[in-house]
Amino acid sequence: MQPLASLLVWSGISVLGAAAFGVLALSRGETVNAAWLLIAALCTYAVGYRFYSKFLADRVFALDDRRATPAERCNNGRDFVPTNKWVLYGHHFAAIAGAGPLVGPVLAAQFGFLPGTLWLVIGVVLGGAVQDFVMLFCSLRRDGKSLGQMAKEEVNPAAGAMAMLAVLFIMIILLAVLALIVVNALKASPWGLFTIACTIPIALLMGWWMKRWRPGKVGEASAAGAVLLLGALVAGGWVAGQPQLAPLFTHSATALTWMMVAYGFIASVLPVWMLLCPRDYLSTFLKITTILVLAVAILVILPPLKMPALTPFASLGEGPVFAGKLFPFAFITIACGAISGFHALVASGTTPKMIARESDARLIGYGGMLMESFVGVMAMIAACTLDPGVYFAMNTTPAALAQASQVLGQAGFVVTPDVMSELAARMGETTLLARSGGAPSLAVGMAQIFAGATSALGGKTLDALWYHFAIMFEALFILTTIDTGTRVGRFMLQEVVGHVWPRFAETSWYPGVIASSALIVTGWGYFLYQGVVDPLGGINSLWPLFGISNQLLAAVALCVGTTVLIKMGRARFAWVTAAPLAWLAIVTMTAGWQKVFSADPRLGFLAHAASLAGSASPDAARLILNDRLNTFVALLFMTIVTVLIVTSLREWWLVLAHRKPAIVHEAPYVETGYATGD
Amino acid sequence: MRREIDGGRGRRRAAEGGTGWRHALRRMFGMPDYEGYLEHCRSSGHPPRLTEREYVKEFFDSKGTGSRCC
Repeated sequence: MQPLASLLVWSGISVLGAAAFGVLALSRGETVNAAWLLIAALCTYAVGYRFYSKFLADRVFALDDRRATPAERCNNGRDFVPTNKWVLYGHHFAAIAGAGPLVGPVLAAQFGFLPGTLWLVIGVVLGGAVQDFVMLFCSLRRDGKSLGQMAKEEVNPAAGAMAMLAVLFIMIILLAVLALIVVNALKASPWGLFTIACTIPIALLMGWWMKRWRPGKVGEASAAGAVLLLGALVAGGWVAGQPQLAPLFTHSATALTWMMVAYGFIASVLPVWMLLCPRDYLSTFLKITTILVLAVAILVILPPLKMPALTPFASLGEGPVFAGKLFPFAFITIACGAISGFHALVASGTTPKMIARESDARLIGYGGMLMESFVGVMAMIAACTLDPGVYFAMNTTPAALAQASQVLGQAGFVVTPDVMSELAARMGETTLLARSGGAPSLAVGMAQIFAGATSALGGKTLDALWYHFAIMFEALFILTTIDTGTRVGRFMLQEVVGHVWPRFAETSWYPGVIASSALIVTGWGYFLYQGVVDPLGGINSLWPLFGISNQLLAAVALCVGTTVLIKMGRARFAWVTAAPLAWLAIVTMTAGWQKVFSADPRLGFLAHAASLAGSASPDAARLILNDRLNTFVALLFMTIVTVLIVTSLREWWLVLAHRKPAIVHEAPYVETGYATGD
Repeated sequence: MRREIDGGRGRRRAAEGGTGWRHALRRMFGMPDYEGYLEHCRSSGHPPRLTEREYVKEFFDSKGTGSRCC
């Protein structure tokens, strides 16, 4: 493009984005259309990708297409395969996108649509996408090494151990909170539970198909699985209407907790091809298709946002969904859509082993994260199209709703029981009250958007079918994460115990497999049970812990990235990773401190425990124990962050003061065999 | 050296037997691609080490260690 035309185009995009932000920020009282939110996000992504990611690629990392990548040097036709950048973009996005970018923005909508949207859009451009890009770059130059290995080699062995410990603890909290979302979505929902229960035999059938009957024919097996899945979805509606069958699939949250624990254990010890792989394929297809359809549906109907830009809870900090003020809790509630430490595991996993040219890392690492942020923006839109009264009634337990009733009433966020009953009936449920966790309210928002789109295109609205489709979509890939997470946690535990008892580390030794699986499942199962029986809904305590731990892992990744940049002689550019690291440290420490030491019993674990002291409630002792355990976990996370940052700072100072040689552990330079410019 | 970037070479692969999109989809969704493995062995000048069943088994086993994000 000619320089003048380019200047005009990018100036136009920038002005359009700024205007959209202006509309969002200045609206007070009037209804805002979702189109403005989409325009603001897309223009920011375009400018961030065109200019900031190019600066990172050219100036900071100095990506070199003449240098052979691990995929070229170690090409084995299986793990290390040079892959087209657009194909790998899809592969990487499917691996990083999970429930986090969908649920986090829905929960953060309690502050209004503006804070969460700003964090999603600005956070990803300056933080999240940078973290993914720098991790991909570091791993790419080190033959696809993992985050833990790089922390050990580039920072020091203590940092490597901290990173591994952090991943293990995060895994346990993550699995508990994701399982809690599924439990809250499926409790007393025969339609939802029947559909999700059917995914197990469908996955087993697919596993047998692609392993035994027609080896490797994943496409065929997945097509059959998808048809059966849609059949199960429709059949679920019929089952829910049968007086004899519906009770078989109607269970309390506690009963579902035990089912989840049993499922997680069995999935972890079964061969991977039997349940994990087929479920993974099903959920990947469904995830990508649904996200694309949701984007088209939003563009077709451009729904108005009923949630205001800011709610009173942003400043009061007494939100019924979760306690705490906008700062710091908006920034840990929305983790995955803006910045997610978990991505560092994917960016230092399979993706760097498949990159054909170094310059492809820009599209895959930076661009992939922008797409994840866009998913978060769509979730925010879906949540904010709900009537605020409905949103708070769905996401709040009766106890929390009673505490916040005065503020809700003053803000006009009220809803009558009749409206909730009518909505539940329309969605094919008996009740939608107190369905905390974000998934059901997202499903209602998505169902309304899908129904609006099908209606606009001349079809029937089919609200109940769309609602259960959305629940199935969310539950399916949450269960996939539970499968893989429990298994990965099991491997890590086996490796750790294997240092003192080598036999335990053998993944083919079944007593070790069973014992380690049981320990991991017990770990997340305990937190899940604690959340289910929590009078405030569990999300109030578990989601902030998850957010803190996820951002902690991002801090680990950014510490490694900053260390590598300094050792590469690019200390003048170290701010690109050091600035988001500083922000995350401030946010994580503030949130952790408030969760532990706040005098507000709704916010602080210790204050809550103190408020229960002397209580006659039979649950008091258990709740006090939970508060103390949560305190321990939060303090442990904060300690890990502190130790890691201090050890990294020491390493930076030693290198910059020339007291230690700046040795980077990159793979040796080998010139590519590909023609330059291909 | 022969170029060997898997997927996204629709026109060239189509001329060679119409497998370009199949390769691309398999890579994108993380499916086993035995044809791609055989092609890699051919271009590298060594016989395939694995049968299709062995390849599929190893592929699925290695998938169990990968991370899925939250």
